[in-house]
Amino acid sequence: MKAPAFAYEKPDSLDAALRLLADAGEDAKPIAGGQSLGPLLNFRLTRPSLLVDVRGLVEMSAVGDSHDHLTLGAGTTHAAIEDGRVPDPANGMLRHVAHGIAYRAIRNRGTLGGSLAHADPAADWLSVMTVLDAEVLTATAAGPGVHAAAHFAQGPLATVLEPGELVVAIRIPKLSTRARWSYFKVNRKPGEFAHAIAAVVHDPERDVCRAVVGATGDAPYLIEDARPLLRGFDPRWAADHVSAAGLDAGSHAHRVHVAALRRAGAQIGGVQ
Amino acid sequence: MTDVRPPAPRAGSRDVPGGRGVGARLPRKEDNRFLRGKGQYVANIRVPGMMEVAFVRSPVAHARVRGIVKPAGMEGRVFTMADLAGVRPIVSDSGLPGFRSSAQYPLARNKVRHVGEAVAMCVARTRAEAEDLAEQVELDLEPLPVVADMLQALEPGAARVHDHWDCNVFLDTLVDDDLAAVRANAVITVKRTLRTARQCMAPLEGRAVLACPDARLDQLTVYTASQLPHVIRTGLSECLGIDQGRLRVIAPDVGGGFGYKAILLPEELCVAWLAMRLDAPVRWIEDRFEHLSTNANCREHAYEITGYADAAGHLLAIDCDAVVDSGAYSMYPFTACLEAAQIGSILPGPYKMQRYRCHTRSAATNKSPIVPYRGVARPGVCLAIELVMDGIAREAGLEPHEVRLRKLVRPDEMPYVNITDKHFDSGDYPECLRRAVDALDIPKWRTRQAAGEPDGRRVGVGLAIYCEQAAHGTSVYAAWGIPMVPGHEQCLARFAPDGTLELRVGAHSHGQGLETTLAQVANEVLGIDPARVRVVLGDTAMTPYSTGTWGSRSMVMSGGAAASACEVIAGRVRAIASHLLEAAPADIELEDDVVRIVGTDREMPLAEIARVWYREPQRLPPDVDPAGLETTMGYKPAADTGTFSYACHACAVAVDTELGSVEILDYVVVEDGGTLVNPLIVDGQICGGAAQGIGTALYEEMPFSDEAQPLASTLADYSLPGATEIPAIRIAHMETPSPLSTFGQKGIGEGGAVAPPAAILNAVNDALAPLGALVAECPVTPDRVLDALRRAGESRA
Amino acid sequence: MAGKTTLTIGIEVNGEQVTHAVEPRTSLADFLRDTLGLTGTNLGCEHGVCGACTVEIDGAPARSCITLAVACDGASVRTTEGLADDPVAEELRAAFKAHHALQCGYCTSGMLVTARDIVMRLPEADEARVRVELAGNLCRCTGYMGVVNAIVAVLAARSPHPRQDP
Repeated sequence: MKAPAFAYEKPDSLDAALRLLADAGEDAKPIAGGQSLGPLLNFRLTRPSLLVDVRGLVEMSAVGDSHDHLTLGAGTTHAAIEDGRVPDPANGMLRHVAHGIAYRAIRNRGTLGGSLAHADPAADWLSVMTVLDAEVLTATAAGPGVHAAAHFAQGPLATVLEPGELVVAIRIPKLSTRARWSYFKVNRKPGEFAHAIAAVVHDPERDVCRAVVGATGDAPYLIEDARPLLRGFDPRWAADHVSAAGLDAGSHAHRVHVAALRRAGAQIGGVQ
Repeated sequence: MTDVRPPAPRAGSRDVPGGRGVGARLPRKEDNRFLRGKGQYVANIRVPGMMEVAFVRSPVAHARVRGIVKPAGMEGRVFTMADLAGVRPIVSDSGLPGFRSSAQYPLARNKVRHVGEAVAMCVARTRAEAEDLAEQVELDLEPLPVVADMLQALEPGAARVHDHWDCNVFLDTLVDDDLAAVRANAVITVKRTLRTARQCMAPLEGRAVLACPDARLDQLTVYTASQLPHVIRTGLSECLGIDQGRLRVIAPDVGGGFGYKAILLPEELCVAWLAMRLDAPVRWIEDRFEHLSTNANCREHAYEITGYADAAGHLLAIDCDAVVDSGAYSMYPFTACLEAAQIGSILPGPYKMQRYRCHTRSAATNKSPIVPYRGVARPGVCLAIELVMDGIAREAGLEPHEVRLRKLVRPDEMPYVNITDKHFDSGDYPECLRRAVDALDIPKWRTRQAAGEPDGRRVGVGLAIYCEQAAHGTSVYAAWGIPMVPGHEQCLARFAPDGTLELRVGAHSHGQGLETTLAQVANEVLGIDPARVRVVLGDTAMTPYSTGTWGSRSMVMSGGAAASACEVIAGRVRAIASHLLEAAPADIELEDDVVRIVGTDREMPLAEIARVWYREPQRLPPDVDPAGLETTMGYKPAADTGTFSYACHACAVAVDTELGSVEILDYVVVEDGGTLVNPLIVDGQICGGAAQGIGTALYEEMPFSDEAQPLASTLADYSLPGATEIPAIRIAHMETPSPLSTFGQKGIGEGGAVAPPAAILNAVNDALAPLGALVAECPVTPDRVLDALRRAGESRA
Repeated sequence: MAGKTTLTIGIEVNGEQVTHAVEPRTSLADFLRDTLGLTGTNLGCEHGVCGACTVEIDGAPARSCITLAVACDGASVRTTEGLADDPVAEELRAAFKAHHALQCGYCTSGMLVTARDIVMRLPEADEARVRVELAGNLCRCTGYMGVVNAIVAVLAARSPHPRQDP
């Protein structure tokens, strides 16, 4: 289990990194913490010709704070979020979720942007950023880009990112102080990838009530209007959404995702 | 660990304050090197000029090998079976009638018979480069129909794993009996169809081999992560066709065994051959991908079992058909039939019954060859009979422990010869069960069950009791007719001139702590400080021949051998001391590093005796034994039918019927391992074994596709229990000495892994019983719980 | 191939600055073990799950099997060998021995690095939290009983407010 040979560059500026990625084409990959890429390399499941190490770039660890958004550099580690070393715009939701990602040794190096770019359907940030209505800020040699988190993943391990496009930061709307959130993750062991995810965010001041059905084997499924969850749990409503998320009605996975949605609804204080 | 009841007076206990002998809770001597990163595992050995091997492995489960194309210019670095001409295949036959023989070539010849079977061997300066090379080797394989499942393998018309066989069965065994009368009279009949999944043993260190030629000695030194270095030397010699004297096998520190490292490996043959061919040191280190994709090689059983009982819940008879998926080849030295045949002999467990019939088949499939894993057939067997016992309890309207108490062998019946001629040596099985029931407090759980859980989960309790034959010897294995029959276990003991003692034994320790417990044995006999005892293991050039560490045998057999050797040395010490102290030998006692005239303060340091023998022989008695302070002694219990440790596991679980998840709320083990040589180590063995058993019960499974492709190739898919999955297990001991062993000790290394599947499935089924659901497969994954609930729902609809 | 295929890196390992040429594909674990001979760090899965290879990078535990050596240029790495004289590690070693927290020893180096992080970062951790924090370090021998007890014992011994048993 040794990685195949590849070349490596550690550019000292974002521009240089983008140029390297642009010049090398599809065979080049950016690497930050390497916690998703490392295993793939060791299994020889990916064979980049060139790795461009973006971990040290200042843009990757920048924090931007505006009136209604917080922007976290893509290189922000899960551990930095877990420890509260960066602000949490979601009333503790990010800290809670970060603590449940893999293991501390992984969280110390694994990054928010890397996790999103890897787009494992069972990973946490994809579902969380979708329910929070965050935006993925990117850059290419040609200029910056913005993608809504809800449309960022296009399937398992597939995103809208073009070759040479690098995730630079995540812009997350700030929840109001009255906002509530819930996050229900089904896994058998802490740190395991999820078998089911349901996340709900209810922010009355911003008139937002969104839910996500995640870890479906595909991109997270967004329920833009999740108010029915607050009024009481309607199994039919939930089942329809879980079916729309791509799970076969009658399958165990369908049943477990419906249960996750019910429990996430209950946690946020929905009428049961 | 908390004891589940205040310590009762313990028969045979020798745990005295400050004691360092048998019974002392002594911290381990070997810990120091591991705690400082100095463990010498094979992969940590550095030899100048060492080359690395990567194997090209079959991507398919069954195919004819039409061609192997070596990358151009790399012919001298890639080797196939054609290059290994003259190396004999691994053949491991049983003498039992009807056994069908397989031949496993170290690199595939003509056919591959399981995914991951080695086809070619590539060598380079680094492992990464060897893997680069392996990727360039082209295989031309003609796919053949795949035998992916053991039951499918037995069907008429199934494809053949071995072309020259008439069916896919290594061995068919039958313990026959006439059950007609029982069937006619039984009021309660409980039938269960059970399966256990294929598992990976997953020691944290994989297999590893390093072979180094030594021109001066005309010898090949093979370092290998093995539990039985002497057997490996024998096997290598036979397959490679070279004298055993030209082979030295060293098993250095071994990072967990559990049975995984108790066989002769094709890779050992390949690496040894290549080192001789290249006249250079060569190594192969198994990686986790190889472990998971090639070596899921244990535990896969299927049972059709029926228990018959009277109206009062008395078990009358058992009738069972069992199949073990033995994989593609018979592995050396245990053979492909050991596990299934063992089912036939141990299924009755600790119970008495009037009639017993058991038919077993060892099915050949296109999967990796089965290797006996901790507990061997027992976890499956215990699951089978204990699920039947719970079924009888349910039918009879009794608590599970009540039906068990009716049929457990009682202490006044010991020693007891059971229905399959097992000789139970000692113990109080009913008391063990009662203590476990008390410790778990079953009435408390019944109350909680009746009240229901606030979160809607369902609570259940489960029990499992078993007894485990261990350290059984010559007569038992001679009857199996396998290539390896254990005889006397030997120990070399000798004093150095400074009075330190060396013990050399041929068994090995891969976590069991023999460096400490054998030193405790020496303390018990010679009074020597365990810190001054050096235990040498795992080296054919340094230790007497041994079949190695397996079958929970080391503490009984090597412990017995160490005691015997120390007794001989003690006699010679007394003889010298009696001369020096001017007293009768019988009046000399050995204690706390001194030799003393009993009842006096006339004494001298034990080390002084060694110094006199080596350095001042002029002071020795004229009739001193010229063999000196060194001896090799063999040990075999008077009866080699084995010690029988036993235990009852009791647990409470909560089942989430919506998610299918299971949480263990409490877990109790009451164990009788006879005299405990080191209770600290025994608890570690029990807890570690139970953790593996919990893995079997709830987590670990290598699923296979219809084409026998293993589907869990990472540890994210093959789920090993971590610190959050294993509860704080509560352990209590009974200590009934075995009449057969030196100190009354019994083998306990494997037992912990035996009962958890049965106890946990019984608890899950107790929780689900009101819903009419029954889980009958291991591991109990959420999908299996939900399947059971769905079936129950459908049958009630 | 565009880009560098061999790099010279400078890493502080166990307090000493080392400079070596490495291939980009070389993991930190292989660099430590093969280039520097620091074999106290064992490889268990090479994909970040088992935790046997856990070392400290810039003071925080990390998987050396899925971290590239080149990515550690300029970093400070500490392995089990580097904990030889560390007082916290010494307390843990004593507790591991007293509580029989190791059998085959293969996971022990990674366990100690994680255990030290728990003790330093989470001084108030109870047994349940210790178990959660250990979830990324697999042990196949002990059933975790000794490991958990050892860490809990060290936490208790270091606590300025020892817990009262009920």
